[in-house]
Amino acid sequence: MRRADEFTVGERFSLQRECDRYRPIYYAAASGDFNPIHIDPEVGAAAGLGGVILQGLCTMAWAAEAAIRLYGEPTRLKKLKVRFARPVKPGDTLTFQGVVTKVEGARVTAELEAVNQRGEQVLKGGLAEGECE
Amino acid sequence: MALDPKSLGKSYGPYRYEVGLEKVREFALAVGGGVPSASFSAAPIPSDLQPLYFDPEYAKGTRHGSVVAPPTFAVLFNIRPFAAAVRDPENGVDLLMLVHGEQEFEFLQPVKPGDVMETVGEVTVASARGGREFLTVVCQSRNQRGELAVRGTYTAVIRTARSGATHASP
Repeated sequence: MRRADEFTVGERFSLQRECDRYRPIYYAAASGDFNPIHIDPEVGAAAGLGGVILQGLCTMAWAAEAAIRLYGEPTRLKKLKVRFARPVKPGDTLTFQGVVTKVEGARVTAELEAVNQRGEQVLKGGLAEGECE
Repeated sequence: MALDPKSLGKSYGPYRYEVGLEKVREFALAVGGGVPSASFSAAPIPSDLQPLYFDPEYAKGTRHGSVVAPPTFAVLFNIRPFAAAVRDPENGVDLLMLVHGEQEFEFLQPVKPGDVMETVGEVTVASARGGREFLTVVCQSRNQRGELAVRGTYTAVIRTARSGATHASP
């Protein structure tokens, strides 16, 4: 596994994830978030969302995975901050893109975002910090 | 319905949660592109799933000595004060108009099956601006050794009638 001094500012990383038809239901089962806007298309439509949307925290779990692949190990991820910019819907393919912005001691900081297959931002202002000793 | 500014400073918890191996595995499968089932719906384990989340034999050979939960598994226990705050009728949150706006986690200690987590949380923002209401809850989870393991900062955005319900994004 790489140590912090083996990372370079400007280094890029990416990860692709698909929100398949049942992903919101699978995530509901695993996380306990059964809010009807995630599992019932009629409720999602009534809320003005055009159907069900994926739980934001599932998108965030994917952002965490993108950062973990950069850092090389799950427990190296110490901090993750995101803003949810737009709903993710079944059928969407998300691309997480990030860049290392700072290396300070053992701490490697990266910024990241996610866009859907139309290039629309679904997650923005992402900030990850990893401890890479 | 309107968010009550008196929500500010309210605290919720403690909530106790015992981390279970099979729950960790289900969570890892659900976010890893698999199916959280070992029953009729079971599907192949995705080939790129991190074995540390899933395979006790593999995990035994690592410095962790056991399966480690994916970092955002923390929502299972860390979110509870936030969930309590948004559902507290005194706070006046319109749940159908609520979207998750921002989220921050600090992962301070690994979370493993068998850990017993205790979580408390406090409302740190309860305000309205530009036809939207904002509710932030900071939730802290300690493990059975008293170590602060996860700090989560949850920000809900509640669309109000004036903001135009159908055009807002989360």
